[in-house]
Amino acid sequence: MKWLELLMVGGATLVAAVTVVGLYSLGVRLTAIAGDVTPQAPRWIQPLAYICFGLCGVAVLFGLYLIIPYFNK
Amino acid sequence: MVALVIALALFFDFTNGFHDTANAMATPIATGAIKPKTAVALAAVLNLVGAFLSTEVAKTVSGGIIREGSEGIQITPEIIFAGLMGAILWNMITWLKGLPSSSSHALFGGLIGAAIAGIGLHSINFESLMQKVILPAIFAPVIAGAVAYICTRLAYALTSRHDPETGDKLTQKRGGFRTGQIFTSSLVALAHGTNDAQKTMGIITLVLIAAGTQPTGSGPQFWVIAACAFAIAIGTYAGGWRIIRTMGSGLTDVKPAQGFAAETSTASAILASSHLGFALSTTQVASGSVIGSGLGRKGTSVRWATAGRIAIGWLFTLPAAGIMGALTAWLVSTGIVGVVIAGAAGFASVLLMYFESRKSHVGHHNAVEVEEAGHAVRFQKKKAAAAARANKKKGGQK
Repeated sequence: MKWLELLMVGGATLVAAVTVVGLYSLGVRLTAIAGDVTPQAPRWIQPLAYICFGLCGVAVLFGLYLIIPYFNK
Repeated sequence: MVALVIALALFFDFTNGFHDTANAMATPIATGAIKPKTAVALAAVLNLVGAFLSTEVAKTVSGGIIREGSEGIQITPEIIFAGLMGAILWNMITWLKGLPSSSSHALFGGLIGAAIAGIGLHSINFESLMQKVILPAIFAPVIAGAVAYICTRLAYALTSRHDPETGDKLTQKRGGFRTGQIFTSSLVALAHGTNDAQKTMGIITLVLIAAGTQPTGSGPQFWVIAACAFAIAIGTYAGGWRIIRTMGSGLTDVKPAQGFAAETSTASAILASSHLGFALSTTQVASGSVIGSGLGRKGTSVRWATAGRIAIGWLFTLPAAGIMGALTAWLVSTGIVGVVIAGAAGFASVLLMYFESRKSHVGHHNAVEVEEAGHAVRFQKKKAAAAARANKKKGGQK
């Protein structure tokens, strides 16, 4: 039966979406903090935000890598 | 006959493209993340790319639902012709009437109806139909909705800012999500290509198998993939222009953060199921996500009446397209005259509906599908008013 596959779809969707949204939100949050005038945010906050965005992009690319048959031959 | 069916299939692909541009690009255009022209072009290109990525769904369509060849049942190009006719007609009718419906289910409905009428009940592989079409149709929107709900919650939880001492709300600075939407909506367009273009590939492959030019159970050939990819891309591009005009009047009160969460869920759900060969409806998944993300934001409630209307539209699509497919199959079975009549009647009604759509002013009927789901989510009055004000302000700045 296909229940297992359906479950896999659900799980994969959840993991992928939560990863992407979580990382991106964190990036948005950190950018917001970095933009604060008072209190002055530490300098490492902004790069950290970029790292979050970057990781988010990597997660997306990794997901595509898993799906595209060309890479898995 | 084979050539005719292939042309018809490509036309179906085209309608599918312009039916569904809104799924991917409605929200980013509405929130001002991308310029409409860019958005449409981007969607077209990504559909094109997506169509090349995976052919799992095409295999489901061509090899699963109708028992072909070896078991002694001859599926003929005529049957497929009838099925496609049913699907296209239903697609055009729903597009004209603004009913939210799924192109994929129209396609399956048409094919099933035609096969039952033309060959008989035993021609349908009900087990495969259940597993690959019906079950995903029920569960995919639910999965996408639930995931969108969780993601919206997560996004808002992570970005809500309060003053640590007074507890007052700080400026939330969620503008970053607007930029993010460019990427997520691109992913949705890509996912659309991996799922929807596949269906047409499956059909054309089915025709080629039925005509005996391709062995049973083999995947789509390269020229088929390329043709379908281009048809859907052109359709997307053509459909975009109508949507741009609709966007001028402003339609959703979906916030960037919500849109981001909804689109991410849609894209992951579609990509995951495409990968496993489930042929699901992008429209339904996107609608499920929009409702889910609406529920995830505080101060919203769902208009269940509208949601119910959407659900009824979904339920009707399969049988309605099936009946049309069956009727066409019956006409076609009477011989060459029947084929000509069916073809002419189909062509005439499509043309008629096209002109009908031209006559009526460009309203919401072309971008209904997901928008409808957006309507199903009601925002609290205060917030809605605030959103309206914000929108006006935005409009003023332009």
